[in-house]
Amino acid sequence: MAGDSTELIVETAHLTKIYQNRQIALNDVSLTIEPGCVLGLLGPNGAGKTTFLRLILGLHRPTAGWAKVFGKVMHPNAADLRRRVGYIPTNPQFPKGMTPITYLDYIARLFGLPADVRKPKLATLIRAVDLLAHSGHSLSHFTPGMTARLAVAASLINEPDLLIWDEPTHGLDIEARRSMLELIKRLAADKTLILSSHNLSDVDEVCNHACVLNKGQMIFHGSLQDLKGRIRKNHYELDLDGEQKAITKVVGVLRALKDFTQVQLRHRRLEVKLGEETPNAALLAQMFQVLAEHKVTLITVRSVGMQTEQAYLDLVEKEEQRGFARLYAEAA
Amino acid sequence: MDTPPVVTLRFNKFLPYWAVFQTDLRQTARSWVYRLWVIMTVFAAGAFLLYRVGLHQEAGMVQSAAVQCGDLFRLMVVGGLALVVVLAVSAVGGERGTLADSILSRGISRYQYFLAKWHARLVVVVSTFAVLAAGILVAGYFLFKSDAESDLTLTGGLAAVLAVAAALCVIVTWGVVIGSLTNGPVLGITVFWLVLYGVGFLLTLMPEPWPSPDRELARLKFVLRGQFNELVLANLVIASVLLSAAAGALGVVGFSKSDV
Repeated sequence: MAGDSTELIVETAHLTKIYQNRQIALNDVSLTIEPGCVLGLLGPNGAGKTTFLRLILGLHRPTAGWAKVFGKVMHPNAADLRRRVGYIPTNPQFPKGMTPITYLDYIARLFGLPADVRKPKLATLIRAVDLLAHSGHSLSHFTPGMTARLAVAASLINEPDLLIWDEPTHGLDIEARRSMLELIKRLAADKTLILSSHNLSDVDEVCNHACVLNKGQMIFHGSLQDLKGRIRKNHYELDLDGEQKAITKVVGVLRALKDFTQVQLRHRRLEVKLGEETPNAALLAQMFQVLAEHKVTLITVRSVGMQTEQAYLDLVEKEEQRGFARLYAEAA
Repeated sequence: MDTPPVVTLRFNKFLPYWAVFQTDLRQTARSWVYRLWVIMTVFAAGAFLLYRVGLHQEAGMVQSAAVQCGDLFRLMVVGGLALVVVLAVSAVGGERGTLADSILSRGISRYQYFLAKWHARLVVVVSTFAVLAAGILVAGYFLFKSDAESDLTLTGGLAAVLAVAAALCVIVTWGVVIGSLTNGPVLGITVFWLVLYGVGFLLTLMPEPWPSPDRELARLKFVLRGQFNELVLANLVIASVLLSAAAGALGVVGFSKSDV
């Protein structure tokens, strides 16, 4: 990295954006992003994710508060700060009549890169994103996958320390999405990333930190482990094998136990929900003991639902239910 | 273990300005508004000149080259003004939103972006007008040369082109500024059309000491003959430079404080 390794990459304090005194897009967001962090920015539509990204890029001016990038306050004329940032907007748009070569050359010139630096770099990037065969074609005929790959190349041309990608997997097919996630994992090794996404499985796979926004308010900021730790780990699915009579008996025994709040059998799949009073490990041990006693074979056992998704939904739901209690928010 | 070499990229501070300037020149030349303006002017001028030459040759009516060229300049300005406004206002206004995102999120300041856009549109409009006007003057000179002698003068032609170019500079600059400060190009274009044509119409109703655009354009035939006051021309150029500079400063400051 170009800067001091201990400096904060992004720091915001009381960041607020109100559009024309009509819409509160972002409300009092204070957070810090350290070097090496891969932050997943989560939230429903209209949560303020893109507004937050535009504020830290200096595309918008905050109504109140400030955003610092690499230790300096970001503003519309902070070209020197943006030279260290690579950005992909949600739906990248390109000037008309350009080819990948002319577009990347244009972007590199916008970063002030001289010809002897930018020409080899853009050639390397075009090859890396697999657009060599289309390097002379007009961008107006590009598919969403090709557009996304070109946007990735454009965001990397200045060798940025911070990457800000707004929904990078949006509109991509399975193969393109997979290679995008692999690229993110590779880049995460030596860069700081902020990824805005609706796709929680993407965030779960590549991010180590998360920030959840809802209606302009930040309702969670911390490690992904912390986010997952907030959910109740009490819902399991088990695929069983053995005599149907034995399995039915197992269901009966489990239903009789008081800490098993829900026990349902569909064919040979058993769904159980555990109470919160007793530690889940003890209850699971008890369940496995019952299975063994009835000579039922356990094929698979898994926690129901994606943990991050569940945690996210839980957070948003709780936030919605708080009502006026929001006024008396706990100190962070 | 060896530490990896630190790669430091070199940056050219003025390259972003040139990148936007050059790209905008190309994009504007390819735009349908620009092409429509040029094609419309060429066809209108061609038809006008052919008609007057026909009158001269068939009916034997004496045609003054200065009067014909003066009338054509007037037509060019009045007829092309609407499209020049569209070209000017859409310079920054037309790129608001996701396209501006892709450009202004890079290593370019708002100052550089605005200045590059403004200068590119100025160069396109003024140089296109100058080329078209030169073509009209040359055509007028040769087509009406068979009269006793052509009343067009070189200094008069240069002065007329300079005067109209100065006025166009002000219009383009204010158009770019309005486009950069309004939320959408449609609003900006409408506002600027209303202001320009509205003020122009009101001024034609005012008595003689007031500078009416129509009266000033009607005087171009005298300028083309070389009958002009150099001091008045110099004042016009200075006033247009000052007005453009003031508008440019307003645009730079306003755009650097606005959201895109």
